[in-house]
Amino acid sequence: MIQVISASHYLQTVPDDTGLPTLDSTLKQLCREPFRRIDRFIQLALLGSARCAASQSLRADCGIYLGSGLGPIGNNAVIQKRLIHDHEIPKPFNFINTLGSAAGYYVAKNLDLQGQNLFISRRGASLQAVLSMAMADLTLGVVSQALVGVVEEVTLPLAEHRRRQGLAAGMLMAEGSDWLLLQTAGEGGRQLHLQRFAAFVELQTVLKSAWCDGDTVCCARSMEQPMADTLQQDYGSSTLPASQRGFHDSLETVSLAEFVVEGRQKNLFLADGDTERGWSLFHLGA
Amino acid sequence: MSGAYIRGMGLSCALGTDVETCITAMQQMQIRPVHVQLDGFDEPMRIPYYRIPDGGDLFDDSRFTRLLVPVVRAAIVQAGLSAVELRRLPLFTGSSCFSIGSSEVQYAKALAEGSGAALPMPLCGYQDIGEIIRRTLGCAGDTYAYNTACTASANALLGALRMLEMGWYRHALVVGVELANLTTLTGFSGLQLVADTIQPFDANRKGMVFGEGIGAVVLSTHPGDVGGLRVVGGTNNCDTHSVTTANPQGDSVAAVLSSTLEQIKLQAGQIRGIKAHATATPTGDTAEAAGMHQVFDSLPPVSALKPFIGHTMGACSINELVLFGGALQKGFLPASTAVETPDPILGVSPLTAPVAAPDGYYLLNHFGFGGNNTVLAVEKFTP
Repeated sequence: MIQVISASHYLQTVPDDTGLPTLDSTLKQLCREPFRRIDRFIQLALLGSARCAASQSLRADCGIYLGSGLGPIGNNAVIQKRLIHDHEIPKPFNFINTLGSAAGYYVAKNLDLQGQNLFISRRGASLQAVLSMAMADLTLGVVSQALVGVVEEVTLPLAEHRRRQGLAAGMLMAEGSDWLLLQTAGEGGRQLHLQRFAAFVELQTVLKSAWCDGDTVCCARSMEQPMADTLQQDYGSSTLPASQRGFHDSLETVSLAEFVVEGRQKNLFLADGDTERGWSLFHLGA
Repeated sequence: MSGAYIRGMGLSCALGTDVETCITAMQQMQIRPVHVQLDGFDEPMRIPYYRIPDGGDLFDDSRFTRLLVPVVRAAIVQAGLSAVELRRLPLFTGSSCFSIGSSEVQYAKALAEGSGAALPMPLCGYQDIGEIIRRTLGCAGDTYAYNTACTASANALLGALRMLEMGWYRHALVVGVELANLTTLTGFSGLQLVADTIQPFDANRKGMVFGEGIGAVVLSTHPGDVGGLRVVGGTNNCDTHSVTTANPQGDSVAAVLSSTLEQIKLQAGQIRGIKAHATATPTGDTAEAAGMHQVFDSLPPVSALKPFIGHTMGACSINELVLFGGALQKGFLPASTAVETPDPILGVSPLTAPVAAPDGYYLLNHFGFGGNNTVLAVEKFTP
């Protein structure tokens, strides 16, 4: 049995190009030591992971599972501009921070963890990818505790950030860092299940049997459109309209983390998949 | 110990553009780095490099697809998957560069055209490898893109293994990609880790030489017709000593080796050989040697493969797994003549002449920036 024993939720809209909100004072409170030469992506990872782990007893084998659709895109863009446009070779720490594993390193150092440390991406569904990996490892006994986070940053100028992702001009953008602490064999927490299906009808059957009007919410944002429409019609869909809260690549994470942080006592289903990949259904119990 | 069988392999690296050519060249001790000239910076840079011998322009955008597809196709064909299995094949990629080289080329081209709208990092995210494989070969299963520096494709392989063990998939495609790009070449040069030759565990080692390579492996829950190799486990940990260097005492290396042995329920003395990470950096080799000595009373034969193909970064695990596994299938442990004077302080002497590889268990070491350590365990068996 896998339980969610803690969560943290950070979602911040960036409405214009005047600058990103500073995180320095928040990180000063959350981090064991001041980390220098870190970029925005690492700052966001530190913020979310530290909040999620606060007051929790982390086990020695706790694994870190960091997901992101775009990764440290801001630092990558700066390096590429300096390299190609300005003909400057990357500064050492800028270069090191381009690696997805750099953020996981600082999270591990801050929380004094030496266990498994992974960075996994799947555009639009990085939560599903990284959460699947963590749940497999928990089930197989590779780890008994997993700190799972998804981080997405915003880069300025916003017009370039939107163009890079093929988004409409003017779309409200957001940065986020949402984390869950999962474990096996512990007290308390909300149960988290993952079921996989070869056919969509199987997913529908399970969802239908578990559905309780008013007590259940279903999210199906990153799936094949006709099936997403079917679920939307039968069960309603997103808990988080992107137009109001800002967009980033991994909004399902927000739904899941926000549910736990706010203590919403409802069942939450996250459905994902398509005909070729098959279907997965994450279920956070009430 | 359950594990998964290696049903198909593909490889393109400095040794050649198919597995058989690469293994033969390795047997013949062929070592052939070239030099890459990078102009336009304050000072011209001339960097030793192990490039794929495809004859094309090193920074040609089209190389990405042209080199990737045949490697993956070779692995898939050897695995003998059905059309349905191919369509649903999940893809686990490990890379430190992904499509950054293509992004650099496209940005430079837009700048050269005088476009005011030239956009740095026009290709964002980590999905390009998967998209190319989906478009050209029809593999449309789940994708998992790993970016953990030089352990990326080892972690991708472990991810695939565990999901096969969960019963979520019957087959999985694992691909490692490292192709020439300016960010990596100039970034590492700035860190002053680059040498002219790779001499792992040698008293005169001075650093690493980079290389490019693409490797692919099809893992399956059933052996199929190929047989002979099984991935039986592996573990990963994080050394928080430094973001760029491992603890020279080797504690985290010893920990990841020990946890792998514990996971596969074997004693150190049962290991028949080790494929070392062997970057030839002063600190990297020191940590790896110290860690191995903590776990092994007497080291089994050690192979170092980077003298053949360079350090292929996030792809090195799959590239070296294919080379090492291919050698095991042919019954030998690879050796190179790159090591001339084994460092007596380290006490590790990589093979300089091939030795027989019996059936049994072998470990493959991988260590990366961000303190990321991964060890894989492979069994060679007679089908």
